[in-house]
Amino acid sequence: MRGFGDLEAVVIDRLWSREGRTTVRQVFEELSLERDIAYTTVMSTMDNLHRKGWLARQRQGKAFAYWPTLTREQYSARLMRDALSAGRNSDLVLTHFLQQMTEEESATLRVALRRLASTEDPE
Amino acid sequence: MSVAVCLLLYSVAVVVLGPGLLVRLTRAGVAPRLGVAAWLVGIGSVVAAWAAGAAFLAAELARDWTRPGGAVASACFAMLQQAALGRYGMLVQLGPLALAMLAATALVVLTWRLSRCLVRTRTSTHQHARMARTAGRHLDGLPAVVLDAPERLAYCVAGRPHTIVLTSAALDALDDPHLDAVLSHERAHLAGRHHLILAASRGLAATLPRIDLFTTAAAEITRLLEMCADDAAARTHGSRTVLAALLALSGTAPTPSGALGATGVEVLARAQRLAAPPPPAERMRARLALTATSILLAAGPLLTGTLAATGLALCSPMTGFPMTG
Repeated sequence: MRGFGDLEAVVIDRLWSREGRTTVRQVFEELSLERDIAYTTVMSTMDNLHRKGWLARQRQGKAFAYWPTLTREQYSARLMRDALSAGRNSDLVLTHFLQQMTEEESATLRVALRRLASTEDPE
Repeated sequence: MSVAVCLLLYSVAVVVLGPGLLVRLTRAGVAPRLGVAAWLVGIGSVVAAWAAGAAFLAAELARDWTRPGGAVASACFAMLQQAALGRYGMLVQLGPLALAMLAATALVVLTWRLSRCLVRTRTSTHQHARMARTAGRHLDGLPAVVLDAPERLAYCVAGRPHTIVLTSAALDALDDPHLDAVLSHERAHLAGRHHLILAASRGLAATLPRIDLFTTAAAEITRLLEMCADDAAARTHGSRTVLAALLALSGTAPTPSGALGATGVEVLARAQRLAAPPPPAERMRARLALTATSILLAAGPLLTGTLAATGLALCSPMTGFPMTG
């Protein structure tokens, strides 16, 4: 799946916050309360999202009803997976506070860190 | 010709001897900023030597081409003549031309690959930032987005705007002072434009993975930049707080098997400098050594080029191309 553009991000955010299926008109009505936007812009944005695989759709009468193919949670998990593999085999450049490690490494590390942390305040 | 050869020999020397020397000087992370600078100057020195070598080669050839009856042009005609007669002795004289073409092609291919790699990295990194802002929760007073995930993760992504990402598990594990320390660590990365340094050094390592200097540099620079950000956070929040934040986030979490083996060692090195900062004398020594090395590496290509051009360095047996027209 390819990523979103700016407006696409706004639209998918709306759909994630709503339950069930949504038509272009519903998204347009919501968005037009906050910004100056044309109906056709919303329509083509949602069409793009459908083409990119982010939205599924089904014809309902004259219009299409759309829903996200991934939930916000599923999508977060995917971002996490990318973040965890960053720097090794992807093009993503992130600066982690702490890289993830195996359970064993983590346990050894915590013992050593505790010893270091208690060197000045013995308790 | 001899200038180009000298520069090439110089770059080989840096590529071979550089990694060992620089690792020894920067390993302990006593002066991480100067350490990063020394690695960058080392990389830059090699690339500059290549570019200057290619430029010298091209300039000499161009001079020969444009001179009426110049060596290369006449060699070309002579070769055609002789080839027509069934002799190939003049082919040898076209050697330098072929070499120059090869060098120029290599340089162009390298630049092309590197820039494509950088563009790709920028695109996917900005994309990640935008997606994280879209999918994540925005909490009042928290200059970061929160993604629901069981891993304790805190990182920042360059983008428009730059974004700091925390997982819900990391947020739960951190007390307020620790959270501030983590945020200030991440902000130090962004303020120092560390993502640009990382993208460039990793891009070069990915483009030329066989050159140990570049791959080692990418790994060491990553490590040293963490230490730089630690120092920045420690200046505001105290090194104890940063150490405690490391401890809080080092908890186990379901991770993909076969994660980085060196991570624990690297984090421990960071923790050790936070717990027991090196004495001033040692810091001063490290600074002097790193500054001297950087100056030497920065001046290297120029020095080599000058020595070769004035004929003081005899690193080329080829005397067929005198330096003065």
